Amino acid sequence: MPDSLLLLALVCLPFLGALAAGLLPTRARDAASGIAGTVALACLGLVWAAYPTVSSGGVLRAEFAWMPTLGLNLTLRLDGFAWLFAGLISGIGALVVLYARYYMSSDDPVPRFFAFLLAFMGAMTGVVVSGNLVQLVFFWELTSLFSFLLIGYWHHTAAARDGARMALTVTGAGGLALFGGVLLIGHIVGSYDLDAVLSAGDRIREHPLYLPALILIVLGALTKSAQFPFHFWLPHAMAAPTPVSAYLHSATLVKAGVFLLARLWPVMAGTDAWAWTVGLAGLTTLLLGAYIAIFQNDLKGLLAYSTISHLGLITLLLGLKSELALVAAIFHIINHAAFKCSLFMAAGIIDHETGTRDIRRLSGLNQSMPFTARLAMVAAAAMAGVPLLNGFLSKEMFFAEALTAEAPLSPLLNILPLAAMLASAFSVAYSLRFIHGAFFGPVATDLPRTPHEPASWMRLPVEILVLTCIVVGLLPAATVGPYLAIAVHGVLGDDVPYYSLAVWHGFNLPLVMSLIALAGGVMLYALLQQRLRGDVEGPPLIRRLDAQRIFEQVMVFLSWRLARRLETLLGTRRLQPQLRLIVGIGLLAGAGAVWLRGFGPGNLPSTPVDPVLALVWMVGAAFALGTAWQAKFHRLAAVMLLGGVGLVVCITFVWFSAPDLALTQLTVEVVTTVLLVLGLRWLPKRFQVAGDRGPEVLTRTRRARDLAIAVGAGCGLAALSYAVMTRVPPELLASHFLERAYTEGGGTNVVNVILVDFRGFDTLGEIFVVAAVALTTYALLRRFRPAADSVEIPEQQRDQDGATQHDDAVRPTADWLLVPFTLTRLLFPVMLVVAVFLMLRGHDLPGGGFSAGMVVAIAILLQYIIGGAAWTEAHLRLRPQIWLGAGLLIASGTGIVAWFFGRPFLTTYFAYAELPLIGKVPTASALIFDIGVFALVVGATLLMLVALAHQSVRGHRAAPRRVGSRAGEA
Amino acid sequence: MTGWMEHLVVAPIVVPMVAGAAIILAGDRRRRLTAAIGLMSTVLLVVLAAILLGLADSPTVHVYRLGNWPTLFGIVLVLDRLSAVMLALAALLGLAAFLFSLGRWQRAGVYFQPLFQFQLMGLNGAFLTGDLFNLFVFFEVMLAASYGMALHGSGVARVRAGLHYIVVNLVASLLFLVGVSVVYGVAGTLNMAELAHRMREVAAEDRGLLETGLAVLGIAFLVKAAMWPLGFWLPPTYAAATTPAAAILSILSKVGIYAVLRVWLLLFGGTAGPSAGFGEAWLLVGGLLTIAFGSIAMLATQNLPRLAGASVMISSGTLLAAIGAGQVTVTGGALLYLVSSVLSIGAFFLLIELVERGREVGADVLAVSREAFGAGEDEEEMDEQDTVGVAIPGTIAVLGFAFMACAVLLAGLPPLSGFLAKFAILSTLLASSGPSVSPTTWALMAALILSGFATVVAMLRSGIDVFWTSPAARAPRIGLIEIVPVAMLLLLCAVLTVGAGPASAYLQSAAEGLHLPASYLQGVIAAPGESAGP
Repeated sequence: MPDSLLLLALVCLPFLGALAAGLLPTRARDAASGIAGTVALACLGLVWAAYPTVSSGGVLRAEFAWMPTLGLNLTLRLDGFAWLFAGLISGIGALVVLYARYYMSSDDPVPRFFAFLLAFMGAMTGVVVSGNLVQLVFFWELTSLFSFLLIGYWHHTAAARDGARMALTVTGAGGLALFGGVLLIGHIVGSYDLDAVLSAGDRIREHPLYLPALILIVLGALTKSAQFPFHFWLPHAMAAPTPVSAYLHSATLVKAGVFLLARLWPVMAGTDAWAWTVGLAGLTTLLLGAYIAIFQNDLKGLLAYSTISHLGLITLLLGLKSELALVAAIFHIINHAAFKCSLFMAAGIIDHETGTRDIRRLSGLNQSMPFTARLAMVAAAAMAGVPLLNGFLSKEMFFAEALTAEAPLSPLLNILPLAAMLASAFSVAYSLRFIHGAFFGPVATDLPRTPHEPASWMRLPVEILVLTCIVVGLLPAATVGPYLAIAVHGVLGDDVPYYSLAVWHGFNLPLVMSLIALAGGVMLYALLQQRLRGDVEGPPLIRRLDAQRIFEQVMVFLSWRLARRLETLLGTRRLQPQLRLIVGIGLLAGAGAVWLRGFGPGNLPSTPVDPVLALVWMVGAAFALGTAWQAKFHRLAAVMLLGGVGLVVCITFVWFSAPDLALTQLTVEVVTTVLLVLGLRWLPKRFQVAGDRGPEVLTRTRRARDLAIAVGAGCGLAALSYAVMTRVPPELLASHFLERAYTEGGGTNVVNVILVDFRGFDTLGEIFVVAAVALTTYALLRRFRPAADSVEIPEQQRDQDGATQHDDAVRPTADWLLVPFTLTRLLFPVMLVVAVFLMLRGHDLPGGGFSAGMVVAIAILLQYIIGGAAWTEAHLRLRPQIWLGAGLLIASGTGIVAWFFGRPFLTTYFAYAELPLIGKVPTASALIFDIGVFALVVGATLLMLVALAHQSVRGHRAAPRRVGSRAGEA
Repeated sequence: MTGWMEHLVVAPIVVPMVAGAAIILAGDRRRRLTAAIGLMSTVLLVVLAAILLGLADSPTVHVYRLGNWPTLFGIVLVLDRLSAVMLALAALLGLAAFLFSLGRWQRAGVYFQPLFQFQLMGLNGAFLTGDLFNLFVFFEVMLAASYGMALHGSGVARVRAGLHYIVVNLVASLLFLVGVSVVYGVAGTLNMAELAHRMREVAAEDRGLLETGLAVLGIAFLVKAAMWPLGFWLPPTYAAATTPAAAILSILSKVGIYAVLRVWLLLFGGTAGPSAGFGEAWLLVGGLLTIAFGSIAMLATQNLPRLAGASVMISSGTLLAAIGAGQVTVTGGALLYLVSSVLSIGAFFLLIELVERGREVGADVLAVSREAFGAGEDEEEMDEQDTVGVAIPGTIAVLGFAFMACAVLLAGLPPLSGFLAKFAILSTLLASSGPSVSPTTWALMAALILSGFATVVAMLRSGIDVFWTSPAARAPRIGLIEIVPVAMLLLLCAVLTVGAGPASAYLQSAAEGLHLPASYLQGVIAAPGESAGP
């Protein structure tokens, strides 16, 4: 099989298996475990198939392009070290699957379980065979993600949820740190490729970015491997089903951290910084984990802390500046996987058969499950480092290193052997507690279930693992020797130091230390009997220092209380501060830009101020100020004053010979003012109450500040306008329009030609804006229900009704305001003619579709005002939607027609058509466009008008009831 | 380009335009007919976007002169890679939101359908136009339609948030208009390419004024992009809007980003003469602050829609800061991030409603307060019943996976495109910073990684609560038409992950076109002159 296919299959098979298992029905336990087992065994076979290459010192490598420009390729690389890990992952994976098949209840929806387990296996394999650091991070975070799902498998329990969440928070954060570190390494080396990185050791260690990179990477590794001070997540991850714990915490998840440290050992280790961070963390964890483990009452809790401690040992070994220590670390990785996995499984069997894992309740199980007891005893002895078992060998190597290693400070060197012995004694004590507590003593009577030996298939994985412990312990060189050599070669290349794997190295200092530790451990356990039987859970001295509680409190504070406080401090949900910010920042941005560079005076000669226009403008300014003054409490007055401002603008346009603009401004002004007034009726009233917004001083300050902003923005805008209007650029767009309006646009009214031709696309866009606004208004008002105090018929209307003695139900029509009513009816056709006139002449003279539409809208508006909604709609069939839609279609259709003549969208056509009787008439396709605009304006205005008018009709329907009920009350 | 192919550039504007008008004429009551027209339009837009993506992948830009007027004074549309990508995003998100709306939301009020089409039209126009005032017009189309979208479905919360949104955007539009007027008054042109040319030779005494106009214009863009402290309108509006509206609104903030990318890089990019790099530092600082605020808002919230709003802010901040870094390669990475984040945020907005459907109102509040105040509670004993898992109904499982995918995407964790996008930004940022890493690079790196962590924490909290702690009593009733759009968007993210190589190469070319706009400028200015009149 070619390397690339083999490697690809190794990584992909578990994921495919996960997919297959995930799609199985809920209760398909056999099928799911069958798939999982097959996949794990197949992966093991693949690993074995790579043995010939790897054993000869070769590296399997396959590269697939992914993001080649950024240096990220899917690079699969299997050297000796990765090979060892891949073997552990798939081998132990297969055993765990077999175990889980019998462990998990038949009621459990296990396909999900096996799917996650397989996906995790794939992610873990991905980590170890990554030949690219970014890809390693990729799979690294995947392991966090799938371990989260596995730990939270029993998510109906709070313990599983909290454990899963804590695990993901801690390891996910570590993964992000690792990501940062990897990016820095990539920056230093210039490549993320593992081979390139591994050959750039000196460059990395001497680079100024070495320290930040080291810290980030070590953070990633320590969180993953549950090293102090990030160790606390691991015990809580024990809420997972036991097979998960056996898999994740013996051979895989937590080993990923030490895997990474070993992987980068050749390029990053050897400095004081490395020794301090990695070594110190390892040492602390080694002691702390072992110490706490003694005092755990839960079998799995004990194993969890022992795992932490053993990982501390491995980390400490990796932190020492010695190749031999690295060999010891790798050796201990293998040994720990074997004995810890079997112990977890044994604990799971005990839990499964007795219903409890509490050491204080368990007792004398040796009677009921002797075979399991033997297996557990051997495994625990291996954990304690009893001679002739595998744990002893790596521990001896550790002691030897502790005695000789070069530490950055000599005091540390001196305490190292002592610490090693102490930790070893602790380890003996907790191993004893595990065995003695569970299997010896009187037979327990109050267990939830009657214990008996488990199914033999469930015991098989334990048997295999324990056998491994014994065989390796007895014949290390013959059994594990070659594999260890391959793995060490994978890390160190050809610089492998001399080491000997033998049970007997002569009567030397490490052996003495071992014996002392064994004796010390037994004594310690004997001395602690009293306390361990008691009800107090947790270790003496540091029981109060609960890392988990600290973590949760910190998380709640940071992610919740602090965040909320900061959010209210830095943000707002109120509108006024937001507007203040936008206007203020706009002002600052403009002022800042001026301040940076400044600008010269304009290039246009100044014109004398006409006193009449100045007067008109002063009136306009007064109107504007009045509007702002009255806007809050006297809205009607404000709207009327605003109309005055509009009129002044209109006069200005006329003054400066812009009749088109003036016409448009006038009609728009009329329509908007009327619509605004109609809308005002439904707004709730506002009353000024002194002191309702806090003390008067504050209100005044607030207003002064707002005034300052307003004055600043107004003056700034005025200054800007003045500056712009007193200069003309060398080349102005408008000059082209003036030149070409008639020759090429076919119209003498330049404004109109710009609107419907040169920049017809803008107009087209704008009519869609108008349409959208009209539709929105209509949609909003249809669902609008007025505030309670606006429902009643207004005072003025009641007065009128009272004066004319009319009942509310029979609305006055014909004889109501007879003169204006007749006049508006008479005026209606006239206004329509004016509209048509305005539209037709638009291309050459002031007018156009927009103003024509406005005029029609005003005509209908008048009918509504004088005749009322009911009368008008009875006499005039208005279909605003049709007008609206047709207008839009006509306008856009005019644009599309150009396509059929092979011209771009909106290309116009004009010619003089010869009509009978009338003679030569200018016809431009722009006129049709203008008709579209006209229809749209009519439709949109009417739609808004109808929406408002019907509000009134609805309101009246509701009102009499209310009035009636009030009268009843009175 | 000859014949009908030539008009493809304007088609993304014309199609929704005609469809919207037709829907109005068809009448709002005829749901089947209007839905059919809408569907045809949205699907057609996706097809068009695919064709244009291919068309834009050429060394020259495609210029479409509206009304057949010369570039000098007519309006032009310009299609380059960036526009094509944005068009594709709008079309895909449009299709997803449209399909989703067919489930129930289109009936929540009147005129949803035409407004939706106008929304797409405005978006597409803004992405295509090469004229500053026309950009304003399409901003207005887009905004006017978005007012309708935000208010669709009515109700107190929506109207309150919607009206705030309208007011804020009207003010921003005013600033836009002021800016455009000043620019026109000083430079005498509205065509962006021509403007870029004149930027170089504008008289010294006028340059300050021109920059002032552009600074005001920039504030309008940044309000749209929701930069802190201009973007407080965003979370409440998006949270209150109906689901499909929120999904389509989520791309609106990216229009602000697009405008910054387009206008700012064209006018102030490296080749812009004395004005080059104007305001660059502010983009970077503003972006960083926006990321920080977004992360805080994300941690502080307990309801999913606001969470999504906060993630929009984080994504805006990330993009602004990355653009502010001023490096071609970083912009390329930022574009990958843009694509990934538009798709994932869109999916998330659609998903939220499905997830919340059938849950008790206020369940989140309870769960979070429990966490905040009950941290010291005793662990409950595991009992026998606990060691048997609970089966998860299929619907919930699908939703759960979609939720996880969204969380992973938003946080920038593997295995989906969010991770690759962050990697693309950070690796190029480091690569362009020489042997020593500058404080701004450190800050951006920290901001990106920490905001990812904040997202993990917040999403984890919500996800565990929704799916594990207080799951819906019954599996919610979810139509196929509602889950398919979510799946589609997430699948696209997966495709983006696998095809990250070609995608990032395309986006890198797009970024080069933005930073070194020679081909854009030449293409627009030298567009074939006026063809023979009729």
